[in-house]
Amino acid sequence: MGLKPRDRVISALRHEEPDRIPIDLGATPCTGVHAKTYYDLRKYLGLSLKPVRVMDIGQQLAEVDKDVLDLLHVDVVNVNRVLEPMAPHPYIYRFASVVDGSLKEVSDREFYIWRAPYGVDVEMPKYIEIVEVGEGFAGYSAGNIFGIIPRGGYYFWGLDRWRKSKPPLADVKSVDDVKKFDWDSFKVADDVVEILRKRAEYLYRNTDYALINNFVGGPGGYHDAGGQNLRGWDKWLSDLRIRKPLAEAILDHIHEVMMYNIKKIVNAIGEYVQVTAIAYDDLGTEEGPQISVQTFREFYKHRYEELIGYVKKHSRMFTWLHSCGSIYPFIREFIGIGLDIINPVQISARGMDPEKLKKEFGEQITFWGGGVDTQHVLPLAKPEEVVDHVKKLIKIFAPGGGYVYASVHNIQPGVPPQNIVAMFKTAYEYGKYPIR
Amino acid sequence: MSVDVLSSIKDSLVNLDMDKTIDFVKKAVELGFKPMDIINVLADGMRVVGVRYERGEYFVSDLIVASEIFKEVMNILEPLITRVGEVVRPFGRVVIGTVEGDVHDIGKNLVITMLRANGFEVIDLGVDVPPQKFVEAVKQYKPDIVGMSALLTSTMINMKRVIEALEKEGLRNSVKIIVGGAPITEKFAREIGADAYGENAVTAIEICKKLVEELHRGK
Repeated sequence: MGLKPRDRVISALRHEEPDRIPIDLGATPCTGVHAKTYYDLRKYLGLSLKPVRVMDIGQQLAEVDKDVLDLLHVDVVNVNRVLEPMAPHPYIYRFASVVDGSLKEVSDREFYIWRAPYGVDVEMPKYIEIVEVGEGFAGYSAGNIFGIIPRGGYYFWGLDRWRKSKPPLADVKSVDDVKKFDWDSFKVADDVVEILRKRAEYLYRNTDYALINNFVGGPGGYHDAGGQNLRGWDKWLSDLRIRKPLAEAILDHIHEVMMYNIKKIVNAIGEYVQVTAIAYDDLGTEEGPQISVQTFREFYKHRYEELIGYVKKHSRMFTWLHSCGSIYPFIREFIGIGLDIINPVQISARGMDPEKLKKEFGEQITFWGGGVDTQHVLPLAKPEEVVDHVKKLIKIFAPGGGYVYASVHNIQPGVPPQNIVAMFKTAYEYGKYPIR
Repeated sequence: MSVDVLSSIKDSLVNLDMDKTIDFVKKAVELGFKPMDIINVLADGMRVVGVRYERGEYFVSDLIVASEIFKEVMNILEPLITRVGEVVRPFGRVVIGTVEGDVHDIGKNLVITMLRANGFEVIDLGVDVPPQKFVEAVKQYKPDIVGMSALLTSTMINMKRVIEALEKEGLRNSVKIIVGGAPITEKFAREIGADAYGENAVTAIEICKKLVEELHRGK
């Protein structure tokens, strides 16, 4: 086909119609596929079977091999990709092993094979150490515990889920308490930024893929990744209503590190990368937004605006936000402050009706996701039903561009490989412009 | 005058005004109202909050503020309850947990918050709870209701194992079972032999109240 993947994606993001809708599988930690499912997919496709290289440790997402990228016509990859095409710039971790105390010096391109509890051999990077514990297996990243995967489990869960730790700011009472937290630990290190820059430049010059940067550093957002992560999911929601000075103080600190990080990142990769994530902030639930628009405007809107504004002022990168759930009322707000792309477009959530979304917002924001319902259709329907379902969604979302095809969040264990193939085959064949 | 105080408590809670609610509660106590009357009027208020949530007028954050107000009020009332010697019969006792292999808990925790704010006593077993632990909890706490949560299609089948374990121990008929979570459906609940399916934290409360009534009538 005529267009290069990078140009195809840029065209879609500009709300033009390229030759076909661009496709994403595995470029982000929210448009990926679980290692188990990926293994089964390779088997189904008759591809070589080997341990699955993991690119997101907590969610156990697979790095998608080039042969699958080619087969499914994927147009975008992430800058920190750990399989070919991969930038030859490793990041070196130096830490004390939790297993034997020895000093380790390993690159993030060195892997070992681990038999995951869900029955697949995976390649874990050597800076991750795994120790068996009562509940399952504890994971350590460069010497720091980050989660435990249950014995029959599929993902590593943070310690607060296991009730083994409290959220870091759970007990703060005053603005002074908040100051004492080590906010600088959220700031991105210069050597990390330098590696990011080298990788971005390499992939820009040596591949035709569109490039996305997923790394934002720090807490990763203001709401779900920010306040809720630091104070507790419930507690933060009432902080925003009845402990406002505390909430403001916390958000001021979060915003300071978010701005620090985005500046470093934009300056490093702005000329090479087409899309950058700005935050991962679930603002919705299945049934509705978690907060009112008033609360959003009071605490978040101006902070997001500054974050997005910096990217737009200092680069030509498109800004990408992940926000799960029923977020309909916020989309207009985000459009108003210049957000380019929204993900995952959870069509099963209340108010997230594809036709309504496209009609009201389609010309002003790109939908990166919304490609298949992952709660009921993708795991449970027959392949023919998946095809029909995907066609309907493409017909709604694709016209006029502003649509990058991806599933609604990561493809989970239990999804039949034939459904995945049906989905991407339809996206490729039926996604040709003009959509009939 | 006296009736006004109680309805002021209810209105302040419904409007999510922590300070006003506490002021009116203190006033009601001064005027000699029984703690149980105050708790009942708060429960009425919580019901209105739940209705507004279902209508999309209130959000999850509002449910949580309402439950925090309730908790604050209980801090004021609890010492009075023990002083007066009044036995506060909670609306029911619930044992709840996320099933084995599953560590999702946001939904479960919201249900717990709402249950407590509606006068239930809740024992939270946490996450990744094997069937045997549910059985032991039923033996130990003798709850009215057992609640189970799951978010994965691969773990929801463990709900059936819990029900079977309770049957095996002869405990099934001593409790009512409610199940919930994104992949759960009314059909699934029926298939595995649960008593009820709770679609969200708000409907779960009303269902739990009915289940407790059913259980006590049966006994």
